[in-house]
Amino acid sequence: MSGPLLAVESLQTLIDASQGPVRAVDGVSFELRTGECFALVGESGCGKSVTALSIMRLLPEAGRIAAGRVLLDGADLLALPEAAMRAVRGKRVAMIFQEPSTALNPVLTVGRQIAEVIERHSGLSGDAARRRALELLEAVGIPDGARRIDEYAFQLSGGLRQRVMIAAALAVDPEVLIADEPTTALDVTIQAQILDLLAKLQAERGMALLLITHDLGIVAKMAQRVAVMYAGEIVEVAVRDEFLRAPQHPYSQKLFESLPSPGRRAGELAVIRGQVPALTGGFRGCRFAERCDLAFERCREEAPRLLELGGGRRARCHLREAGLAPPRQAELSSGIERPEAKPQRTLLDVDGLKVHFQIRRGIFRRAVGYVRAVDGVSFALHEGRTLALVGESGCGKTTAGKALLQLLAPTAGSVRYEGAELAGLSRAAMRPRRGAMQMIFQDPYASLNPRMRVAEILLEGMRALGVGRDDAQREARLAELLGEVGLPGEALGRYPHEFSGGQRQRIAVARALAVNPRLIVCDEPTSALDVSVQAQILNLLRSLQQRRGIAYLFITHNLSVVEYLAHEVAVMYLGRIVERGTVQEVLRDPKHPYTQALLSAVPTLEGGREIIRLSGELPSPANPPAGCHFHPRCPKARPECRAAYPENLPLGESRTVACVLYRGASGEGSSAASSS
Amino acid sequence: MLAYIVRRILYAVPILIGVNLITFVLFFVVNTPDDMARMQLGTRRVTPEAIEKWKGEHGYDRPLLWNASAGGLGKATQTVFFEKSVKLFALEFGAAEDGRDIANEIRARVGPSLALAVPVFLVGLAVNITFALFLAFFRATYLDFWGVTLCVGMMSISALFYIIGGQYVASKLWHLVPISGYAGGLDALKFVVLPVVIGVVSSFGTSARFYRTIFVEELTRDYVRTARAKGLAETSVMFGHVLRNAMIPILTGLVVAIPALFFGSLITESFFGIPGLGSYTIDAIQAQDFAVVRSMVFIGSVLYVLALLFTDISYTFVDPRVRFE
Amino acid sequence: MPFLPVFLTTDVLLWLLVCVSAGYGWYCRRHAHLAAPWVRVFQTRTAVVSVVILTPYLLVGLADSLHFRTRLEQVGAGSAASYSPEVLSLLDIAASHLRSRREKTYSAPFATRLYAKEQIELADGRQVRDFPRLQYGGAHLRDEEERVVDMSRRAAAGLAAAAALWILLAWVVKPLRRRWAAVPWGAAWWTVGPLLVIAAPVLLLSEGYHVFGTDKVGQDVLYLSLKSIRTSLVIGTLTTLAMLPFGIGFGIVAGYFRGWVDDLIQYVYTTLNSIPGVLLIAAAVLMMQVYVDMRPELFPTAAERADFRLLMLCGILGVTTWTGLTRLLRGETLKLSELEYIQAAHAFGVSNARILTRHILPNVAHIVIITVALEFSALVLTEAVLSYIGVGVDPATTSFGTMINAARLEMSREPIVWWSIAAAFAFMLVLVLAANLFADTVRDGFDPRVRMVAIAA
Repeated sequence: MSGPLLAVESLQTLIDASQGPVRAVDGVSFELRTGECFALVGESGCGKSVTALSIMRLLPEAGRIAAGRVLLDGADLLALPEAAMRAVRGKRVAMIFQEPSTALNPVLTVGRQIAEVIERHSGLSGDAARRRALELLEAVGIPDGARRIDEYAFQLSGGLRQRVMIAAALAVDPEVLIADEPTTALDVTIQAQILDLLAKLQAERGMALLLITHDLGIVAKMAQRVAVMYAGEIVEVAVRDEFLRAPQHPYSQKLFESLPSPGRRAGELAVIRGQVPALTGGFRGCRFAERCDLAFERCREEAPRLLELGGGRRARCHLREAGLAPPRQAELSSGIERPEAKPQRTLLDVDGLKVHFQIRRGIFRRAVGYVRAVDGVSFALHEGRTLALVGESGCGKTTAGKALLQLLAPTAGSVRYEGAELAGLSRAAMRPRRGAMQMIFQDPYASLNPRMRVAEILLEGMRALGVGRDDAQREARLAELLGEVGLPGEALGRYPHEFSGGQRQRIAVARALAVNPRLIVCDEPTSALDVSVQAQILNLLRSLQQRRGIAYLFITHNLSVVEYLAHEVAVMYLGRIVERGTVQEVLRDPKHPYTQALLSAVPTLEGGREIIRLSGELPSPANPPAGCHFHPRCPKARPECRAAYPENLPLGESRTVACVLYRGASGEGSSAASSS
Repeated sequence: MLAYIVRRILYAVPILIGVNLITFVLFFVVNTPDDMARMQLGTRRVTPEAIEKWKGEHGYDRPLLWNASAGGLGKATQTVFFEKSVKLFALEFGAAEDGRDIANEIRARVGPSLALAVPVFLVGLAVNITFALFLAFFRATYLDFWGVTLCVGMMSISALFYIIGGQYVASKLWHLVPISGYAGGLDALKFVVLPVVIGVVSSFGTSARFYRTIFVEELTRDYVRTARAKGLAETSVMFGHVLRNAMIPILTGLVVAIPALFFGSLITESFFGIPGLGSYTIDAIQAQDFAVVRSMVFIGSVLYVLALLFTDISYTFVDPRVRFE
Repeated sequence: MPFLPVFLTTDVLLWLLVCVSAGYGWYCRRHAHLAAPWVRVFQTRTAVVSVVILTPYLLVGLADSLHFRTRLEQVGAGSAASYSPEVLSLLDIAASHLRSRREKTYSAPFATRLYAKEQIELADGRQVRDFPRLQYGGAHLRDEEERVVDMSRRAAAGLAAAAALWILLAWVVKPLRRRWAAVPWGAAWWTVGPLLVIAAPVLLLSEGYHVFGTDKVGQDVLYLSLKSIRTSLVIGTLTTLAMLPFGIGFGIVAGYFRGWVDDLIQYVYTTLNSIPGVLLIAAAVLMMQVYVDMRPELFPTAAERADFRLLMLCGILGVTTWTGLTRLLRGETLKLSELEYIQAAHAFGVSNARILTRHILPNVAHIVIITVALEFSALVLTEAVLSYIGVGVDPATTSFGTMINAARLEMSREPIVWWSIAAAFAFMLVLVLAANLFADTVRDGFDPRVRMVAIAA
């Protein structure tokens, strides 16, 4: 390949904040070659997005580029006057963003938003531009483009919106495409589609792709070369395969080790202690030294250079002066399985749970239909065990979790806690049972009241449920609770905003523990956290379960977390459970076509797995397809799938699947299946 | 969309009923017709006979809600509530204190009122939005800072000052326009031009700054960044993207501004002697003519509800999300 | 006792408000997260400047809110103490030279003669028609020619006093400066300077002249302007006080419970909103007037009647303006009640009342504070317009509105009587501008996203 198409040299970007300028990007250099996919990887706040915005000169008003050069074909973009830079944006360097729902203008048609680029940068206008826009819609795989071109962003699903964004970005064949977390807001099956599309378009057009992501799986799938960012600096650069095989910087190594995977079921996940340092001050030594297990005297005294290690590899670590690090430990996917305890006592029994929401329309806002968010879900939770409820957004998993705790009134079905029916209980009748069942939420920033001290937050539940005789007794327990979740006792007098995301999630766990629950519904508790912090929370949840015998209903879309933590898995699709079984059964040998597709879509470090591509998007639960809800997207659909929703077929002791493919196979003792 | 508009129209009905009930309670329950009679008779000798006579002349001599002495439907209709409140829906306002028919008065005064209010509204909108766009375009510069300071200064000045000062300077010192008065047809122009300018100026500070806030807020949205990433010039971003989105909150603000428009017209009309609804209302308030005030309250809310409806309909032009509901 | 305290309702409420604010301030100091936005506010120059300007207004207003009746000279020993029927305030005593020196009618600022010709009987018994000398304004001058010299002497003394005070103040402020280093004391000091330079000469000049002239019945306009301040403060603060219970209560209840409660509250506020504010206020005030006039026995003194009308005006304005706050709070509560910490509280079975008071209310408090600050200036302006229309304060209550109303008829006089109206507008402009600037910094400090559509007046 030729020389660098885009070269970033010693870029330094400052963001003005109340505490002084934050050095969000501090001396970053890298090169992007024609036709190459270069990934910039790092956790939130490392400066990867600011780097991208600096290249485009689209920084927010508080940001400014303090030093450095950005050379596009040798010409410095940072030196261009604004008008000349505008001719570069969209024409030579295009960008797509993380959140397609806000990145598109809500009051303009998608056709207009694509044609706009064409009119700006090429001679075409009017009908010609529209025809070109239509071609682009087809090129990015939007079905029925002739109709879609006149639609608005709110009429499209998330995946289609991102395709529109891509179409607009590629409208005039830019040389460089910058994709800033392009699939983070999307579901895993849609993510697979978008990544495929990006890879395909990149190959066809030979453009350079700067991919910004936090997901090592995406790196493994997409990138040719990788740069890892930490605290505003690039700490490692390598060719993808080398990077995956033997990461050179201790931070990169830790990132790999903290990924949950089945190989690590037996032990704890590696965690990176502490937090990313504040970028307002200067640094004397290595920025990672405080959190590094391998740090020594020199790391704190002298900032390491980005060392050339040969073969295009570079690492910012004193240790690498001694030579390359050894390859990381290969995954033992057949690792030591956790001894499966015999089934425990059933705590909670859910049977035929339904939660429907009314849709009101028309002049009098009459109920014209129902959103069947949860439509007949049955499962059981056992003491000391974890059931993972897995599915994509909108499948009803969170609604099911809330209905279980009676935070939402179930429309039908029963929820029995130790045999006692909970569905339909009044607020007052429910109260004495609330202590046994608690919930941990997704967003650690929204789940703690910013106006309450940690002590008040922990006491609130204990007071409401009468845990402990009096406040003195309750307060005596607080320090112990914090100790249990790994926070210092002095945290009690502080307010939530003084803590980081991971610490807040620990407080939320402590709040739930305060009332001695037997069961905790964990609603995506780690999806808002960075991978290294996620590992801390997962370790904590696991050790609590082992000590206290708490049962978890773990609601998630992240299958690697499931592999690490869960005993059993239930996969939901459009309000119903399509497959259920132990972790080994479901994840090693998925039966339902949806489960198979879902598993194959997760980008993994190993790669090589063939992806089962699902066409289309998740249908609306207000109007689910007739018959099997999945049949319009199912690669194995048969005529009978359209007729009726398939019954739950038992496959073995602990496993059921709702798919006609297994009607014959469900042999032993399934009278229901065979008689029907 | 049709369902949306029909629903908005139907929603207006309970609101008008509510307004009607509020005025009934305010005018007839808080104070009895006897109180009103005493008030009106004022300094003259107030005898029970005089009160009864006054009530009889003005139609307040019936029971408030239920006339047990009347027959059939009359039990409900021959009441103060029916005669004075329900009939407002049929736009039957009855007679003012001086015996003139209120409905006739209103018909005669709508024209001058509109001649003042409509230009104030439209010119004001154009001026304020232009100025706000200008400030938003130069946001975070000294131009913007002094523009906002100007707005804050202007909104801190009483509307009365603009009127009195404007009248003094333009009419008394410079003799540009007549001090007050009104004439029909094209002659209206010379009488209306100063009040319109004053109306625009007195709403300028508040509105221009409000619109600027909306524009600046809209400029921080992701889609603006997308538009810039496409290489669009700042003017295209402003007019092609920001303006259309900002129209949604601006429209919402306009409804709130409509009663203020009425408010503004009240004093402007009375200062400039424009024979519109505003000066009629002020005269009625000062003469404590309850029948007129009551009618104006009702008319005012009918206008407001109409404006609300108009806004709802105009949403469908700027916001596709409403159009496809 | 040399005086008998009179507790007017608005006095009591105003002082209560002062106590509550002080208590809130003390509470904030002990809670860092409550103090943080105020710290942000007081680190801006605008806030400090506007507070410095507002302080004299506040002091005058509060001094005018301590009412009493002075003891009359004992007629005979042993008889019970009798008190003057006239209710005075601390301000009246402090400015007694302004209050008591009433001329016959209009006189221009610093004038020594009336503005209207009268028949004057000369010493020799002849009658001429001329502008008579004022009874008090410049009465100390033996020769009117000396006026300019006398005025400059007084002004110079005032300026000297101002300069001395100003320098003294820099010294007094020093310890504060060390204590709160982040506050821009320089800005405060530079604001106090011009204030002193204006105030001190005016004060000294007012001893001998009517600085802002006199009005139709010969009252000193400076005195009237000072008296108007209290009315503005009462309207600007007590109205929001009257509005808060409705605004907060309805807003958070509608947003939290939703369903029919929300529908009902939304219906009520849309209905109230649909009546043009001024008409609703006018109608309510008219009805209140009828009520007051029909029941003279309830109000023994004119001051009490005027005070009742002022209070009721605040109440009426409050009842008609709560809708804006309700809409804001409803929207915010809708958002909040979806948040996970509210869900967590539900999962603990925490009662609705506790959720509303412990979780919702503290998290919408910033909106309430911003609204109170933003509403103040709008209300001061509204008062003027309402009083002008004739549905504002009692004609016996001095306010900027009544001043403008009384003066505007004289605009057509030739030559024009401008000082009364100019003084009212100037005092009002400074007050409203400072309040507006302060409200802006409060909004920026607490939550810049809150958008208020101010009631334009």
